[in-house]
Amino acid sequence: MNFIRRLFESRFWALTLKEIRQILKNRQLIFLLIFPPTVQLLIFGLALSPNVDHLSLGIVDYARSSESREFVSALVENDVFDVAAYPKNQAELGQAVRNGQLIAGLVIPPSFDRDLNQGDSTDVQVLIDGVDANTAGIARGYIQQTINQYTRQLNPQFKTALIETQTRFLYNPGLSSSWFFVPGVIGLVLTLTGSLVSSVTVIREKDIGTLEQLLMTPAAGWEILLAKVVPLFILLMGDVLLASAMGRFVFQLPFRGNFFLFLALSGLYVFVSIGIGILLATLARTQQQVVLTSFFFNVPIIQLSGAIAPIESMPKFFQILSWLDPLRHYVAIARSLILKGVAVEALLPNILTLLMFAVVLLSISVRRFRSQLN
Amino acid sequence: MNWPMTRQTNRQTNRPTSRILSQARKELVQFSRDRLTVALALILPLGMLLIYGYAIRLEAKNIPLSVQDLDRSPLSRSYVERLFATNQFIPAPLIDSSPLSSLDHGLAKATVVIPPHFSREVAEGGSQVQILVDGTDVNNARVIQNSIRGVTNFFIQSLPNSVRPEGIRARVRIWFNPGRQESLYIVPGIFGVVLWVFPSMLSAIALVREKEQGTAIQVYASDLSSTEWLLGKGLAYWLVAVAEAAVVMGVSGLLFGLRLQTGPFPLLLGTGIYLAAAVSFGLFVGARTGNQNGAVQGTAIVGFLTSFLLSGFIYRLENIPFPLSLISNIIPARYYILLTRDAFVRGAGWAGIWFVLPILALQGFVLFKLASKIMQSMQLSE
Repeated sequence: MNFIRRLFESRFWALTLKEIRQILKNRQLIFLLIFPPTVQLLIFGLALSPNVDHLSLGIVDYARSSESREFVSALVENDVFDVAAYPKNQAELGQAVRNGQLIAGLVIPPSFDRDLNQGDSTDVQVLIDGVDANTAGIARGYIQQTINQYTRQLNPQFKTALIETQTRFLYNPGLSSSWFFVPGVIGLVLTLTGSLVSSVTVIREKDIGTLEQLLMTPAAGWEILLAKVVPLFILLMGDVLLASAMGRFVFQLPFRGNFFLFLALSGLYVFVSIGIGILLATLARTQQQVVLTSFFFNVPIIQLSGAIAPIESMPKFFQILSWLDPLRHYVAIARSLILKGVAVEALLPNILTLLMFAVVLLSISVRRFRSQLN
Repeated sequence: MNWPMTRQTNRQTNRPTSRILSQARKELVQFSRDRLTVALALILPLGMLLIYGYAIRLEAKNIPLSVQDLDRSPLSRSYVERLFATNQFIPAPLIDSSPLSSLDHGLAKATVVIPPHFSREVAEGGSQVQILVDGTDVNNARVIQNSIRGVTNFFIQSLPNSVRPEGIRARVRIWFNPGRQESLYIVPGIFGVVLWVFPSMLSAIALVREKEQGTAIQVYASDLSSTEWLLGKGLAYWLVAVAEAAVVMGVSGLLFGLRLQTGPFPLLLGTGIYLAAAVSFGLFVGARTGNQNGAVQGTAIVGFLTSFLLSGFIYRLENIPFPLSLISNIIPARYYILLTRDAFVRGAGWAGIWFVLPILALQGFVLFKLASKIMQSMQLSE
């Protein structure tokens, strides 16, 4: 009780109250805390989807037989391809692919059913637009597998392959793409909002010159800074809850791990983002410079974190660089806790790294802040 | 205007075109004096090109794969060998002899489980291999499934008792990008993002700065009309944007080996119009907002999010679901990316992309009209 009374009478408490009042009065700040995170989560979660389905397929069927039609319907059965056009000949098909109207084309030779009935093999030609290299690769895989299966069905004695592969997708059995992106975007949102909001609140006092007035009060540097950090931390935890609620109810994320562990580690990351923001604010002189430099920092932080494009597909150099990216560790934690539901032991390396980042960033920014005060 | 040049050439400034030109010249001089903005204009686009150009790859190479071989026969060992011979997978340890725990710890992206009597079952006519794939990364989960199946099919053909049924063989050819280099897909897309975000940001800052410093009011007092003023500003920043485009495209030619596949006219014309639209967007945002902060935020967040996420830059446009797909239809970057991909990869020329130019021109015109309308009403109310 004594401690609580001391806290309420302390200078620190007065400063914190001042900060809270200032934040609540600042409409722009409240707007920044609510609107951009919501929009970013929605757009990233909905718009980014690597699905490969309903690719437009053009068919030139020189055989025009029931066998060839059956083959085509087997090929489009699983909705990877939609038959979009029946060009008259190969040249017309090629032109349509070149102009970007079709993504793939299939040419069935005139001898298709004759060859098959005689027990010979027959060659069909497939052409795929390779501009989108990733889609082209997956589309090629589908075509080859479907044709393999279809061939086996034609020959009852080979119905089962010698080795059958049975795939199980763990953690995300429906392969829903928002499950991959949304945990990453929660980290992205915390980085952007946390660094922006904290740098803006620090720099504004510098801009207006009220920081010097604060200096003249008996309050110590750390008291001023801590009083700034605590309300921001509480508000940003509100963002964590907002983002989790959207993840749960809009995107149906499973949250398989311990939710309180998730909240605690998100809190740790919030400290990191506040540290980034205050550091940016001590580096810059005006609000405009803060916004520009934060843009400069945030693009690589986000890009190397694996929130948008998987880290495993980056070149080696960037993979190594990404270890220095705090967001990478948070995204790994968020995905593990939300999708995999792993225990805390599996996350220890990430947690320790984040802790280190929080301590280093905050102590650098406190030191720079203090030296600027003197 | 306290700029000596415009006073001296008073006689010339009677004609609107020369008034616009001298306004543009003044703007360029002012721009070149602001070190921070010049650095921003050249370094940021290049930095973004390098990060996106090298770091965005969708297909993983060197995927860590662990194997639980319960058979331990020569056959199973040669199957495992074949899996790793593709260079797509690298071996990852199996933890606690459970197929799941190396996935849980994130040490492997997939585990292949070979059943105990694998070689006997294969000899007798059929066995099953189980593949557990980490489905977190949806795209690579599919890639992994496809390539393990592909390797398995290949392995089956090498088996002594495999009788290949005669049937359909697919001769697959991949056009335009036979080696499936992802940089050929990503880098032309970066042009769409970078050449939208930065030109619009610069022109928005320039416009807002005059409003903040109050020099915009001096313009109202002169005989310069608001449209002429905006045209002059726009022209200056359009020239800056052309320089940025030349730098970004030149560097990508050197680093990523991009080469023009068709005549340069569609690209040149389209880039010119696209940059004009981007500058107009910046002027529009600048006219709407009151401070530089808001201008940067507006162009960075709106311009960046839309040109990055709703333009088909990373994944196919067709995958954007319904209400959002409507928005993507009015995003200029979406059309411009079609044009750059055609110019640098596909090479079909006008036939596939002629519609891009009128659409971009219309969008640029509308944005400019909106900006000048706002400035005009501001001038009247002043």
